[in-house]
Amino acid sequence: MAEKLSQSSFTAESIQKKSGGFLGVDKSTLIKGLFGGNALVAIIVLALITFFLFREGVEFFPQYQHDMSLYRKSGQELAGLLKAEMDEYNELQKELEAVQVVLATETLEEIEGKEWPDENAKWAAYGEKTAAFQNYAESIRSASGPLKDVVEKVRDHTREMKEVVVVQETRKQITGIDLSTLMDEEEAEKLLLGSRQQVKDLMPEIVEAHKAFRENLTLVLASPPKVETEGGKEGLEDFQKEAEKFLEKIPGFERKLEKYDAEKPFTIWKALGGFLMGTEWITASSWQDYYGIWPLLSGSLMVTGVALFFAIPMGVFAAIYVNQIANSKEQNFIKPFIEFISAIPSVVIGFFGVVVFGELIRVWSQAGLEPPDIPVIGSVLGFFSNILNGIALRLDFFPISERLNAFTAGGLLALMAVPTIFTLAEDAMNNVPKAFTEASEAMGATRWQTIWRIQIPTALSGIISAILLGLGRVIGETMVVLLCAGNRIAVPEFKGAGTVFEPVHTMTGIIAQEMGEVVPESIHYRALFCVGIVLFFLSLLINYVAQIIVRRYQIANG
Amino acid sequence: MSDKPKTESVPPSAPAPQVTRDAGDLSAAKTLIEVKDFDFFYGQKQALFDINLEIPEKLVTAFIGPSGCGKSTLLRCLNRMNDLVDVARIGRGSINIHGVDINSKDVDVIELRKRVGMVFQKSNPFPKSIYENITYGLKIRGIHKKSYLDEVVERSLRGAALWDEVKDRLHDSALGMSGGQQQRLCIARAIAVEPEIILMDEPCSALDPIATAQIEELIDELKTDYTIVIVTHNMQQATRVSDKTAFFYLGKLIEFDETARLFSNPDNKQTEDYITGRFG
Ligand SMILES: Nc1ncnc2c1ncn2[C@@H]1O[C@H](COP(=O)(O)OP(=O)(O)O)[C@@H](O)[C@H]1O
Ligand SMILES: [Mg+2]
Repeated sequence: MAEKLSQSSFTAESIQKKSGGFLGVDKSTLIKGLFGGNALVAIIVLALITFFLFREGVEFFPQYQHDMSLYRKSGQELAGLLKAEMDEYNELQKELEAVQVVLATETLEEIEGKEWPDENAKWAAYGEKTAAFQNYAESIRSASGPLKDVVEKVRDHTREMKEVVVVQETRKQITGIDLSTLMDEEEAEKLLLGSRQQVKDLMPEIVEAHKAFRENLTLVLASPPKVETEGGKEGLEDFQKEAEKFLEKIPGFERKLEKYDAEKPFTIWKALGGFLMGTEWITASSWQDYYGIWPLLSGSLMVTGVALFFAIPMGVFAAIYVNQIANSKEQNFIKPFIEFISAIPSVVIGFFGVVVFGELIRVWSQAGLEPPDIPVIGSVLGFFSNILNGIALRLDFFPISERLNAFTAGGLLALMAVPTIFTLAEDAMNNVPKAFTEASEAMGATRWQTIWRIQIPTALSGIISAILLGLGRVIGETMVVLLCAGNRIAVPEFKGAGTVFEPVHTMTGIIAQEMGEVVPESIHYRALFCVGIVLFFLSLLINYVAQIIVRRYQIANG
Repeated sequence: MSDKPKTESVPPSAPAPQVTRDAGDLSAAKTLIEVKDFDFFYGQKQALFDINLEIPEKLVTAFIGPSGCGKSTLLRCLNRMNDLVDVARIGRGSINIHGVDINSKDVDVIELRKRVGMVFQKSNPFPKSIYENITYGLKIRGIHKKSYLDEVVERSLRGAALWDEVKDRLHDSALGMSGGQQQRLCIARAIAVEPEIILMDEPCSALDPIATAQIEELIDELKTDYTIVIVTHNMQQATRVSDKTAFFYLGKLIEFDETARLFSNPDNKQTEDYITGRFG
């Protein structure tokens, strides 16, 4: 450096700013820019992500509106109502078939147990014993005959018409095709009108067939066959009950048909409602695609619920223990241990879930746990497995058939949320001024009273925000749910506590799974972005609430 | 801390003790707390050396001495607050209250602390309402009867000369009070459980002169009902509020006497140096 070290005399020049720096920008500005720039980049990236999500996602609603409008205008929607009814009836018939199988096996057993002069006599006897039921089953099947025929007609026709329009629209988007060879909008409208007119024309026939269906079914159900075998009798009784229920629902279906109006426009609000309230997520269907978020949202919420159910007590209690009760040796052991969990890659946890945890629970629910055949350890484990097996016997939703379900995923996510909750809750308790606990003890409070009445209430908002951030961690997790949740896209049927053992799909899971396969800018692609937006807002909300709580807590502690 | 008057030490020429009690009255007082041959350690480090001290009942005893000489340590031994410090241990000797060794295995420390209340250097009301602060000591003993709690709150706040200032906002947060009010609340909280002894560790060191005067006045009133042991940094304060004064230096009790005598005519050279401001 050529600069003089000696103090120069006080002149205007000597105290002037040195013109160092880069490209005429002085050093402190540069440094400020460097740090500020990094903060700015984070903000810009966040803004870009939000913008991008919205740009790709918002288009979904007009597209969905258009899609559903076609569905309605072509008359396919009405056919859909009938189809739903027929589908339900088919389900019912499947139950009957199951009863039939039971009956056949039982009858066969009975017959084999007797002496017969020859094979023919034996089969004749078998036929005789099952004939009544066969007839009954046949009547049930044919009860819907006329209705089924007309429904099929409507269904195939409307689908074809809609397909024509859809194909034309798709081709329009391909460049290089002579547009004049394609149908214009007017023609398409006409086609759809024709389609819906045909459905209208068929209405009297449909109503007639419906009436006949109801009468037939009532008649058949009124005279159930005599069944002698144990299982058959029981099965038949159950079936009769289910069938009666279905019968009671038929007027409801009829009313829906009456009210149906194909001319009513399908508004954008309906599209929005269809997404936010829809209970079906069906893609690449030959009938009609639905993009309702509930199968995914409910899955995410269930998995999260299970995870928090385990993670909150584990994380909070561990924090209380480490902060209040453990000596420093225990602290030094437990803390890094729990914090290490967050370093395990989620795919490894997911793998563990598939191979070990899920399988273990299924085996436990079905056959009970067998301790391994090792001398000492085996008998220790045997003690625990006996207890667990005792519990399993009392859980009326056991056995479960699926190894991968909301519980498996939730149980593992709990593991991932524990470090977050533990660390933040422990921090919150650490931040409680020593003076408070000292004052409490000086008043003659016991350790537990101090923890319960002073420590926890003072740290409560911090603990709550720890839980919320744990929640944020869980709801955004993808790999584990993709591997362990079972990926069944349906709103789980509610059956008490057993509901958590149903396979589910999640918002994160569906994006990861389907994003790679969809056609860019297709409605399906945009629907996934909409799911992303919901997820984004959910996380934003959780973080925001957590921050508000923390802020309030800081004020409360002065 | 900085609010305290700068004229700390008493000028050598004018000790001017403001204690009004006559000597006969003092020597007749019964001993309540008896510290015998007491050694105390933090880990390897000895903090108190062979302390012998008899603290009289229903009088105010002040502990003075330079910072780090063990005043707080001894005070905290009187209600076993040092149990909370991992490395703390008693080396030798005993502390008896009413002739009972408080460190004996049979003593329930919870019961001890109920009888020996404490007020800290930095006021530390709980982040709860004024009312809840006062009733805390009763609630942890399972007393929940509203009428009784109300009565105790009023009595304690009156006892701490705070009632008129806060009676209309009993359910407001205690953290919204001024520093002096918070400290008096801590005193009210301590007397709510009717202890026999109140220990105060530099209760005025963070307060301004007016709040300090209020607390000193309060101490003067409290001594009709309670035995008070106060640690103070401020020798004028010691002369104003205490009947007896103990001077500590480097973990040792150097001199213990009636306040008037100790400040006017100390036996020990170190005491004299300290009270005349030659060191400390
Ligand atoms: N918790 C503790 N752990 C270790 N040493 C302590 C602790 N508290 C106080 N000491 C030490 O004991 C000595 C006496 O401290 P203290 O009683 O607080 O002095 P004073 O109140 O007279 O200023 C000091 O040397 C201090 O460093
Ligand atoms: Mg001290």
